[in-house]
Amino acid sequence: MTQSNSHSVGHYQYEERDRAFLQERINEFEGQVRRRLAGELSEEEFKPFRLMNGVYLQLHAYMLRVAIPYGVLDSRQLHKLADVAAKYDRNYGHFTTRQNIQFNWIALQDMPAILRELAEVDMHAIQTSGNCIRNVTSDEFAGAAKDELMDPRIYAEIVRQWSTLHPEFTFLPRKFKIAISGSPEDRVAARFHDIGLLARPSEHGPLFRLFVGGGLGRTPVVGQELFDSVREEDLIATLEAVLRVYNAFGRRDNLYKARIKILVQTIGLEAFRKAVEEELSRMDCAAYRLTPEHVAQIRARFAVPDLQAPADAASLFEQHKQADPAFARWVASNTHPHHHDSYICAVISLKTPGAIPGDVTAEQMHGLADLSARYAFGEVRVTHLQNLVFGHVRKDQLYDVWQGLQKLDLAAPNVGLISDIVSCPGLDYCNLANARSLPLAQKLGARFGDAALQAEIGALSIHMSGCINACGHHHVGNIGLLGVDKRGAETYQILLGGDGGENAAIGGILGPSFAEDEAVEAVARIVEFYLAQRQKGESFAAMLKRCGLKAFKEVAYETV
Amino acid sequence: MKRLSRPGEGEVLLLTANRLLDGRIVWLGEGERWRESIAEAKRFSYEEAGPALERALAAAAQKEVVAIYEVVAHDTQPPEPVTAREVIRAHGPSVHPDFSYDDALARTPAQEKERAQ
Ligand code: HEM
Ligand code: SF4
Repeated sequence: MTQSNSHSVGHYQYEERDRAFLQERINEFEGQVRRRLAGELSEEEFKPFRLMNGVYLQLHAYMLRVAIPYGVLDSRQLHKLADVAAKYDRNYGHFTTRQNIQFNWIALQDMPAILRELAEVDMHAIQTSGNCIRNVTSDEFAGAAKDELMDPRIYAEIVRQWSTLHPEFTFLPRKFKIAISGSPEDRVAARFHDIGLLARPSEHGPLFRLFVGGGLGRTPVVGQELFDSVREEDLIATLEAVLRVYNAFGRRDNLYKARIKILVQTIGLEAFRKAVEEELSRMDCAAYRLTPEHVAQIRARFAVPDLQAPADAASLFEQHKQADPAFARWVASNTHPHHHDSYICAVISLKTPGAIPGDVTAEQMHGLADLSARYAFGEVRVTHLQNLVFGHVRKDQLYDVWQGLQKLDLAAPNVGLISDIVSCPGLDYCNLANARSLPLAQKLGARFGDAALQAEIGALSIHMSGCINACGHHHVGNIGLLGVDKRGAETYQILLGGDGGENAAIGGILGPSFAEDEAVEAVARIVEFYLAQRQKGESFAAMLKRCGLKAFKEVAYETV
Repeated sequence: MKRLSRPGEGEVLLLTANRLLDGRIVWLGEGERWRESIAEAKRFSYEEAGPALERALAAAAQKEVVAIYEVVAHDTQPPEPVTAREVIRAHGPSVHPDFSYDDALARTPAQEKERAQ
């Protein structure tokens, strides 16, 4: 199927039965909400129902988490999210590191109506909470990047279909997160998921490297390679076997020891692999065989963009860059090479220095949806670093896109740079938080907001979480910040040396925690130290290795 | 029943909850009515708070609130919670001054409704 400028490039097209299923679910939930409001259901009885529909009770209000399967939205959906934000929330939404969007101020009685509105555009909140297989995440440049080996979205969709309401796996010991990438560089933090898959082609068809038992939270663990080459036809059988072993042996008696990472650590990778292999040998593998026909069928439900461009697209692009240095700077940090020479992938930073990471207003959502409809095949992707992506932009039109983004105040040239800060909502919204994370992220963003300074510093990631659950992935930031409660007061621990990509690493804790302003100063001293002491081209991680954590520690605590 | 936090010198206990309908933070006030502003919260000693919490929990379904618990606050006018978490609950998210609860007292119910829309 080929389409040029429709709404549907990039993600799976729903069938009627998918839609009927959503309506049924909403009807059911509507009844549950009605019974709760009428006092017929107690909070204890109602809570599992609301969680199954993505509704959490947060600090100030109910929060609704909406799934964006493998992070791909179309412009129609983004317009709808904007409408929901304006009509039912306080005019904004928050994109998360799990490629979801959260609304923070929703009234319980409005939930069924919102879910109905979302269903109009094939969206829902299924698999966004509870101890099930959660929304599958994928590479934000899927199907577009020049360096891609294979398009992972087809497999993400296959896994989504397999996992959605899988009868055996709706009550796992704990939640279960799967990420899939098809690029040589891990862009999904595969080693920090319960299961991470890296797909690659081979003479004998697609092969999958499967990592298991990664995760952050209270016990951060780098996932280990369970199998290096799972064949396409065995993909679902293998996932099924891993989940069965976890479901049978994962702990249910202790919330903090229930994730698969603890099981793999406790029995060891070898024993875990053996258990999976035994399960595979007992299973009716034929029933789970993924046939080339089935894969082709799913592939056919993804529209492929019709990439056509005038011959001078690339040279016009060069002229635009030369004429406007601000545009050139944005291109340098916020784009990624596309497999088609006349196209490019554009990353839209949701980290305008001083703003709240991941928050987007209804007006910005409408504006982005319009821009994507006009210039990017009506498609928008959400990244696991809380930014957005237009996957296919014609190079000669990128200048227009950038100007459009400027009008929306979404043209910060900082992707991958120090002010591209990943942060969870923290104590400003979250019921579980120890400390706020957003004000600190805002202060750091403003402190390093100067574009020239950021360019000089180069690639450097800051990640922040408001508590040990690690929703902001603080362990994998080059610089990580963790909110800690000290007798009711907010303080912050600093971690150094984390990496969420190919060289996966968990940051080391620097020492005692800091008060908020001290933490900003300590980070500033760490960055100054890096700038002063780095060798030519040396990354933060490399210098940390060379100089050691102790040297950074001395600098960080200098005047405290 | 869980053990209550014990207020120190110059501190009192308040009772708080989320309103069932919209999750809004509320404080137990005079006449066992749930109020939107911490300034209207009734102050309890450690000894008084236990039975008051029991009564509030028993009436929760009719009064349409969830997640009731006690908060330690300085015995000031208005009372000010001791922990960062409860300060944020009392005043609203610090990153959005426009969502502050602090003028909740001054607003009429009609204004409040309009604001929520
Ligand atoms: C505000 C409501 C939220 C609540 C109540 C919440 C709660 C939690 C909890 C309890 C965990 C730990 C689960 C476990 O390890 O078993 C967790 C993990 C996680 N959350 Fe959240 N979260 C919230 C918001 C967010 C947001 C906004 C993001 C993205 C920015 C996010 C991303 C994640 C991720 C990626 C993990 C997994 C970390 C890991 O690998 O262990 N969460 N969350
Ligand atoms: S890390 Fe903690 S504070 Fe932040 S969103 Fe997750 S649970 Fe809340």
